Amino acid sequence: MSYIKLESISKSFKDDKVIQGLNAEINKGEFFVIFGPSGSGKTVLLRLLSGILLPDSGEIKMENAVINDLHPEERDVSMAFQNFALYPHMKAYENIASPLKANNISQDEIDSKVKEIANLLKIDHVLNQYPKELSNGQKQRTSLARSLVNRPSVVLLDDPLRNVDAKIRFEMRLELPKVLKEFNTTVIYISQDYREAMALADRIAVLYDGKFNDIDLPKNIYEKPSSLTTAKLFGDPTINNFNAVISKNENRVIAECNGEKIILQRKTSIENGECIVGIRPEDINLSNQQTEESLKVEFRTKTPLNLRIVFLVKLSNGLELLCSMSEEEAKNIKEKEQLYVSFKEDKCLFFDAITKRNLE
Amino acid sequence: MKFNIWSILKIFAYAAIILFFLFPIAWILNMSFMTNDEILRKVPVLFYEPTLKNYIGIWEGEISIPGFATMYIYFKQNLINSAILSSFSVALTLVLGVPAAYAFARYKFKGGEDIAFTLLSFRFAPALLIIIPLNLYFTQIGLYDSYIALIWVYQLITLPLLLWIVRGYFEDISPDIEYAYRLDGHSWFQSFWKISIPLAKPGIAAASLLCFIYAWNNFVFALILGSSAIQPVTVGALAFITASAIPYGLIACGIVVSVLPTLILALFIQKYLVQGLSLGAIKG
Amino acid sequence: MKINRKLFPYVLTLPALLVCVGILIPFFTAVYYSLQRYNLKMPHMKGFIWFDNYINIFTDASFWNTIKVSLTYTFFTIIVELLLGLGIALLLAKRNWLNNILGVLLILPLMIAPALASLIWKLMINPNFGIVNYILSFVGLSEFTWASHPDTVLFTLIMVDVWVFTPFIMVLLLAGLRSLPRQPFEAAELDGVPEYYKFFRITLPMLFPFILTASLFRLLESIQQFDIIYALSQGGPGESSMVFQVSAYLHTFQYTNIGKSAAMMVVLWAICYFLCHVFVQQWQKLKIKTKGELLQ
Repeated sequence: MSYIKLESISKSFKDDKVIQGLNAEINKGEFFVIFGPSGSGKTVLLRLLSGILLPDSGEIKMENAVINDLHPEERDVSMAFQNFALYPHMKAYENIASPLKANNISQDEIDSKVKEIANLLKIDHVLNQYPKELSNGQKQRTSLARSLVNRPSVVLLDDPLRNVDAKIRFEMRLELPKVLKEFNTTVIYISQDYREAMALADRIAVLYDGKFNDIDLPKNIYEKPSSLTTAKLFGDPTINNFNAVISKNENRVIAECNGEKIILQRKTSIENGECIVGIRPEDINLSNQQTEESLKVEFRTKTPLNLRIVFLVKLSNGLELLCSMSEEEAKNIKEKEQLYVSFKEDKCLFFDAITKRNLE
Repeated sequence: MKFNIWSILKIFAYAAIILFFLFPIAWILNMSFMTNDEILRKVPVLFYEPTLKNYIGIWEGEISIPGFATMYIYFKQNLINSAILSSFSVALTLVLGVPAAYAFARYKFKGGEDIAFTLLSFRFAPALLIIIPLNLYFTQIGLYDSYIALIWVYQLITLPLLLWIVRGYFEDISPDIEYAYRLDGHSWFQSFWKISIPLAKPGIAAASLLCFIYAWNNFVFALILGSSAIQPVTVGALAFITASAIPYGLIACGIVVSVLPTLILALFIQKYLVQGLSLGAIKG
Repeated sequence: MKINRKLFPYVLTLPALLVCVGILIPFFTAVYYSLQRYNLKMPHMKGFIWFDNYINIFTDASFWNTIKVSLTYTFFTIIVELLLGLGIALLLAKRNWLNNILGVLLILPLMIAPALASLIWKLMINPNFGIVNYILSFVGLSEFTWASHPDTVLFTLIMVDVWVFTPFIMVLLLAGLRSLPRQPFEAAELDGVPEYYKFFRITLPMLFPFILTASLFRLLESIQQFDIIYALSQGGPGESSMVFQVSAYLHTFQYTNIGKSAAMMVVLWAICYFLCHVFVQQWQKLKIKTKGELLQ
């Protein structure tokens, strides 16, 4: 059953249409990641959900009740801000206790709850310090503690790992799901990092230019993105793509691109004709051995990226492709000799040449 | 050689500035400890026995001069009036101005800037243009010669001052901090009271003190809208100096007592003065 | 109770606005009075006379005298205060212990009520025991007449105004000087640009927005000055120091001619409004200009 429901939500500032008719359903207890590049309207959407901003049109429903007009304090929603938004004149303890105090909870209970969450997030030793005395990681944990302490039914997390350094980000990426599981709340999480989104999410919504491109399981979005835009956003290095004319026979697809015929081992239902072919760098085989469907390429350069090696190679028709492989595999590649590429079976994607939608 | 001339000129300039701007204050302070005889000497005395008689006279309101009858002066009442008028004006300004300053800082609303500038423009309207009709109105509705009327009119000076300083301080607070507090489950008023105001406190405090100084220093409103019973020191001192036979030491003492509060407050807020004096047009 | 979010900012500003609008009404009343024959001593003659009060004051030599005195006073106070304030600000610009202390102490005259500042000077220049006369006697000026003679009264008033308000200019310009970016000066120093060139081509233009703001504030206050003049000379001797507001005050409370004094105040208001307008325009032009320069 859907717990939160967005029905054609729109919001604009003057002529700037930031959010344009969003629809989504979020389930109870789900870890829902809203992913998008900067400027796509993620933060505005989160502010609409929290009640800081009001939508121009559309409805936000929670448990089937419209909450459009409710003030932030009237919604059973808590939020951790990207910039932490800690109260500078209160100690970490009071910061975390703030949501409890709003609810007339006894002092003893406040104390035990604050200590419990501080313990869980490993900040119990800094409770007596002011925000300006905390490290960035501690600030981030304090702000997280504040958003969770009252066990809200919905937690909004606005890219909470953005402003902390890589080590803390890595730790938190492992720790956060565990902590949140314990609280059994619905989490709406904003991220600009597709890897973070894939690591954390039950489902991901891809927000682009104020619209949801995809709402699906992480695996599905990665493997079957609805459009080239989404495919480009997911993946580092970005997906290779090129225009080609498709013709099919039996188990093969032949993509003709600038005079070069690329043979793709793939069954597909798409029509013959022009389209955009997308293939992720890790789905390209690069080797010194020639096979039946492989193509000659010229080596251009290589660079390490995220523990893998990325090669840039050029086809004889001028098309450049990125291929990535593990360091182990890369050791076997002899750059000085002739190189060949072939596309892994069933891996490439076809997009409409004009609308950029996935054709399958 | 050129260097020396510049240095000498510089020393001369410093001396001239100190003499012109600070000597009168020092001298009036000096006079307040003198007896009338010592003041009236043709050649000023530099060494004398300082006396507190003038201060005691001001406080007790009764002064006996040899050869004259005992005189009664009411300057103490002026001091009390000044304190009442200034304090209550600042209090009212805080109540009216802080929420308005918050609104101007936080919300972009239709006509907001117009309202803000209207409030600012009061500071530059000729005072008498407004007070003369007001004087007639107040007489009709029985508000003439009342603290309430004066405190109301004082808002013309204090309100713009506070608005434009405090607005800047509210603008410096991240709205997210307030939103975070509201998402914790607190109402707007609670977040205003527990977050916005404490964080803007240095600005509010400085603005209040500057408002106090300006209210205390006002002259024309009280001159026209009140009788001697409610008049502050600025008007009282003038009456004091024009009255005959009051010893000069006592006059000097009255002036010292009148300017001392504002001078002391000024030293507390000197860091914030630029912003206050330019109504926020220049950030110090 | 729930307040509509759109209305909320108005709710917050309303009390402040109401209190001030309560005071706006007298403004319109004053304009209305200025179109009436209205003398408190002759209530029966009260009546609408359109612009007679204005024709009256503009054909009155003493009103032209008031205009002349007001403008003279304004002109000299602003020129002297600007030059002196700029000079002191330049002198104090470098941070050291003496300049820091003086920067604070020199604010003190500004914090004294102008009316009380007048009284301080009244005691300083008293013909019987005034310390200033005693000092001047060494340079042979013991008989300086100060506020008691038409030839010297304006000088005396301007001096007191300068004493009170130069610190205002000084404080603003000092803040300006200390906030100027350093690079242009360092560049000029590297190029070996002479001091006077640096001052006129870098310091002054960059300080100009501050000078303009300070002048606007001073201009509007100076042309309306009442406290200093009323406390020291009450417009006298004769009408030699009669400025707008003192004149209006006397017309109201001595001659009880409300209509006439209201007309004078409306004229003053129009002058202030005009000056303010011109200045704001110049200021905006300047802002655009300096922005353009920054972009280059």
